[in-house]
Amino acid sequence: MRESRLVVAGGLALGLLAVIAILAPWIAPYDPLAVSLPEALLPPSPAHWVGTDPLGRDVLARLMYGARISLVIGVIAVGVAVVIGTMVGLVAGYVGGRVDSVLMRVVDTMLAFPSIFLLLAVIAMLSPNIYNIMVVIGLTSWMGVARLVRAEVLSLKEREFILAARAIGASTWRIMWRHVLPNVTAPVLVAATLGVGGAILTESVLSYLGLGVQPPTPSWGNILNEGRVALGVAWWLTLSPGVCILVTVLAFNLLGEGLRERFLK
Amino acid sequence: MAAYLIRRLLSMIPVLIGITIISFGVMKLAPGKPTDVMLDFNPKASVEARERMEQLLGLNQPIHIQYLTWLRRVATLNFDRSFRDGRPVTEIVVERLPITLTINVCALVLILGLAIPLGVIAAVRPGGLFDRATTVLVFIGYSTPAFWLGLLGIAWLGVALGWVPVSGLHSLDAESMSLVGRALDAAHHLVLPVGIMTFVGLAGLSRYARSSMVEVLRQDYIRTARAKGLPERLVLFRHGLRNALLPIVTILGLSLPDLIAGSVVMETVFAIPGMGRLFYDAVMARDQHIVMALVTIGAVLTLLGNLLADAAYAAADPRIRVGKSHA
Repeated sequence: MRESRLVVAGGLALGLLAVIAILAPWIAPYDPLAVSLPEALLPPSPAHWVGTDPLGRDVLARLMYGARISLVIGVIAVGVAVVIGTMVGLVAGYVGGRVDSVLMRVVDTMLAFPSIFLLLAVIAMLSPNIYNIMVVIGLTSWMGVARLVRAEVLSLKEREFILAARAIGASTWRIMWRHVLPNVTAPVLVAATLGVGGAILTESVLSYLGLGVQPPTPSWGNILNEGRVALGVAWWLTLSPGVCILVTVLAFNLLGEGLRERFLK
Repeated sequence: MAAYLIRRLLSMIPVLIGITIISFGVMKLAPGKPTDVMLDFNPKASVEARERMEQLLGLNQPIHIQYLTWLRRVATLNFDRSFRDGRPVTEIVVERLPITLTINVCALVLILGLAIPLGVIAAVRPGGLFDRATTVLVFIGYSTPAFWLGLLGIAWLGVALGWVPVSGLHSLDAESMSLVGRALDAAHHLVLPVGIMTFVGLAGLSRYARSSMVEVLRQDYIRTARAKGLPERLVLFRHGLRNALLPIVTILGLSLPDLIAGSVVMETVFAIPGMGRLFYDAVMARDQHIVMALVTIGAVLTLLGNLLADAAYAAADPRIRVGKSHA
């Protein structure tokens, strides 16, 4: 009962957010890039619900467009991580032996790096843009999925239906694809949902540090960065993007936790 | 115990090699050569000078030779010199390390001191009011960007109310203070960053302490302890917590990279001149030797943290020592 409420709450919040993100070009009150210096740093008012930034751009419009960036980056980064992690986990778990040892040492190695070190270093070397950010976040966050899938595969491998498939002469590839993979989707889905929240947090940190989404394209992280210059004056610039991040990540975490209780207990 | 530790140390070798390969590889991703940064703005630099420079830095050699040369130097803790001021990287890091360590140790002590009691109280009555209240807090802690809390803290507690300093480690007049005064001054500067790191770190660890404690309280020996009439306090602390603490030690080792990552963000937000800030500045300036050194050191520290946690776990729990190490 409780878990289904979590799923509903998280799902509703995310649905609303997705609608806002998709419809942003039609429902945003202003052009998010329209600079108007005379209107710089206006506090929230009926004309500008969330005020304006140091360049006089409407913050609400920028937050709405920022939602698109955050959601797309979060989902695609996790997509990259899930594909890599699932493949590594499947192969390591199913093939076993030396292949397994090597792959798991690679996982251990990647886990040893504080992820922000790798992220910042790689992105700075490559130049920050949306595509690099998505791929690099994915490349530094697949290890959890790999371990999860491997553990599932190890226990599935001993089950009778796999033995039966092997007995009737199914190829290794077919067993992995048709019999093992479908059975690991539930835990992977849960991990992915929780992962999107993490990826969105990561993107906001990168953008805040100036190595994420580059201005003038709005993202929640770089709105916070631009708000820093007016920190003591324009509280709306600091408060609003953070609340957006918090609510979005919370929604993904609630949904993921709810799904976990539902499917994995 | 010795056999276990040796096995554990040996299993670290491939990971260590992997760490150095990745650290080295990341730097080679950069387009252009370090000599470009050094010579592009020097109109007098001729083609010959450029070649001489490349030869001096070993950049004209095949990549695996460059890697091995670098590795040999790193093995003696020599990370070459900073591109910016020409000082040895090791010297710069050693200068910054104590600041970051102090902050992290303070945060860690606070996190442990708060998370364990919170987890235990929540575990005593799973699903009770306290448990549900802390669960909500944990979810919020998980979902809050720490740097945003930092910005809010600066804006509200620092600028609006003026309770805490908003950046750096010392006041402008710190030079004229007594030793105690300076320590208090630094502590005052650290209230906000350490407080925020504690809040964010609390979420994971208290959750973990709770589930570990819930698990232990289900065991037969807890029922036995209750059945023989021990006061609940002794059941919880002598029989329960002692066993529940073990897994917490392990998770502590695993949370080291998060702490280091947190330092980068917090030291940048609060302009604290520690290792995290050093890393950020080096990345922004493409100061490759410093970046390489810190990426390597960060990963090796994490590895050592894990080793320490495993050793502590093995020392406390004989079952680990005897059983096979995890594959």
